Amino acid sequence: MLESLANESAAVSIRDVSKKFGTTTVLDDINFDVAQDEIVVLLGASGSGKTTILRIISGLEMPGTGRVMLHGKDVTNLPARLRGTGVIFQSYALFPKMNVEQNIAYGLKLRRRSKSEIRKTIDRLVGMVHLEDHRKKYPSQLSGGQQQRVAIARALAYEPEVLLFDEPFGALDAQIRASLRREIRKLLKEIKVPSIFITHDQEEALELGDRIAVLNSGRIEQIATPYEVYTNPATEYVATFLGSANIIEGVIRGRTFQSEEISLEIPSDYDFRDGQPAKLVIRPEDIFLRRPENLMQNYQQLTEGVVEETSFVGAFERVGVRLPTHDGQRLIATRPKTETAAFQLYAGQRVTVGVVRFRILPDLTRLPLHANRAV
Amino acid sequence: MSANLSGVRHTRGFDIVKPLSITVMIAVMLPLVLLPLASIFIFGTANGLESFWHALTAPEAIFALKLSIVTSFWATVFNVVFGLFAAYVLSKYNFWGRNALIVTISLPTAIPTAVAGFALLLLWGPYGTLSRVLGEENVPEIMFTAWAIILANIFVTFPLAFGVIKPVFDTMNTSLEEASATMGATRLQTFWHVTLPSLRGALLGGALLTFARAVGEFGSTILVSGNLASRTQTAPLYIFAKFNEGQVEAANAIAIVLALLSFAIFSILFFARDYLETD
Ligand SMILES: Nc1ncnc2c1ncn2[C@@H]1O[C@H](COP(=O)(O)OP(=O)(O)OP(=O)(O)O)[C@@H](O)[C@H]1O
Ligand SMILES: [Mg+2]
Repeated sequence: MLESLANESAAVSIRDVSKKFGTTTVLDDINFDVAQDEIVVLLGASGSGKTTILRIISGLEMPGTGRVMLHGKDVTNLPARLRGTGVIFQSYALFPKMNVEQNIAYGLKLRRRSKSEIRKTIDRLVGMVHLEDHRKKYPSQLSGGQQQRVAIARALAYEPEVLLFDEPFGALDAQIRASLRREIRKLLKEIKVPSIFITHDQEEALELGDRIAVLNSGRIEQIATPYEVYTNPATEYVATFLGSANIIEGVIRGRTFQSEEISLEIPSDYDFRDGQPAKLVIRPEDIFLRRPENLMQNYQQLTEGVVEETSFVGAFERVGVRLPTHDGQRLIATRPKTETAAFQLYAGQRVTVGVVRFRILPDLTRLPLHANRAV
Repeated sequence: MSANLSGVRHTRGFDIVKPLSITVMIAVMLPLVLLPLASIFIFGTANGLESFWHALTAPEAIFALKLSIVTSFWATVFNVVFGLFAAYVLSKYNFWGRNALIVTISLPTAIPTAVAGFALLLLWGPYGTLSRVLGEENVPEIMFTAWAIILANIFVTFPLAFGVIKPVFDTMNTSLEEASATMGATRLQTFWHVTLPSLRGALLGGALLTFARAVGEFGSTILVSGNLASRTQTAPLYIFAKFNEGQVEAANAIAIVLALLSFAIFSILFFARDYLETD
């Protein structure tokens, strides 16, 4: 098994990790690496097993099977205190009876570092997370964002092998979240500590991660760069969880994707068997609406449709288009402001639907079709 | 400004309910609590401070007070240390029979103290269960000694300390201990640096409650101690004995001391816990 070999240069390697609580499988054969200066985001719905992965890496939970490696060293059987991970808990878990300095010093005191070294580290970290004015305050006297920065400084103090963030922005309001995650990304890139970040917020995942691992009930559906995950989702789940997507069921016929009215030429890099059931995945922003027979060059014509409704949602316009399929499938398209000004749409209007970019995924839930069965 | 405000309030009319309810409350509390307490002080000092002092410094009285304080002290030490341990085990580990154990530990609160004393006698006493099982010569003679008083104190007060400490454990954020572990702490270090500081208030509360209750314990003590003056007679027993002998003044002097002690303990509980529990 090639996969089972640890990647020597990786800061964190998770190999074949599975976990059951009782009879329910919570993690199913998890494999991934985190490079030394990389931020990997674990993205998944509630209950998909994100926290469990983090707890297994930090040693707070034992994996059922599989191995955990930190900087090439197998730590699977090492207790949490000997692993040297830095965990930033969702509720921060700052020690309430210790002030900011004492919280930061705790890991160093446990390691019996000298007084002067501890003092130096505190000074450096307090400056780094901008808490100079709050050194003597207790956690209850700090705001949520400040508490979180203490939690990060506290974990950084003892130079952890890896930083593990469990939804660190969960308790903060939207505006602060956005600025804090930029701040943290900048910080992590400066200090080059490998990090794993949990979130179920897709915007956060896209902005924060060097790579995103999308988790679906205990399995990693895809792990890739934000761009790759967004433009080339490996599964329907990934496509719909990260961003929104129109899904059209169909079947492969030669070099085309067919579904009732729709016939779409597929790029040569797809390797499908004839008759393979498939799903067409189109992002709303990759759909182009025009007057009939007026499609621009680089667009493939999908079909014609009728505008059902338009709604203005801030930066863009959302358009619902009914397709002439027997079940009246609806597509959602979004158009930027420049578009809406040039070509106004109203309900009932006939339009040509073009696509500039799309994905075709094999549909493994349906059996291959034979020529005479309708789709 | 403030004159203005009170003017506004006045235009709404005089609120008769407020003084009325305060009066009713005091009228009820007066004969129930306040007057009896006041009587101790009024009566005790009626013959002048000198005779009060004389009654207080009688050797038997001093012995009784000392015995009460010493036995209560050891019961308190036991309750805090073992109450902490029991609460830790019972909230940390889930095992078969855990809830039954919690109920059993808390049960003595609901048992009449005389029954508690009687139960101890039946276990340790010369004809008790232990003697029957192990043979009389193998059972230490602790009934009718200070040890018996400590045992009775513990029996009666342990649920108090446990009841104060356990809820703090239950509501404690386990991620604090997990954070400490990931930062490199052993269990002992985590307990000492993280768990214990959060328990300071509860420990002090448990200790004071235990002590206050133990110092005043009567029902169980009178059964297991033998009530021997200057040997196993605690302060409450002394009050009872002197009163029975008609020496009301002697009884009263000690009563004053016990009342003041309770008052002091209650004040500490009231003010210090707030202080200790602020994060
Ligand atoms: N100690 C446990 N005992 C039993 N089941 C558990 C335990 N811890 C987690 N689970 C279950 O494992 C599954 C995954 O939990 P986990 O906490 O990893 O999810 P998550 O992805 O972090 O979810 P969330 O976004 O809500 O935090 C859940 O179904 C949860 O109920
Ligand atoms: Mg979680």
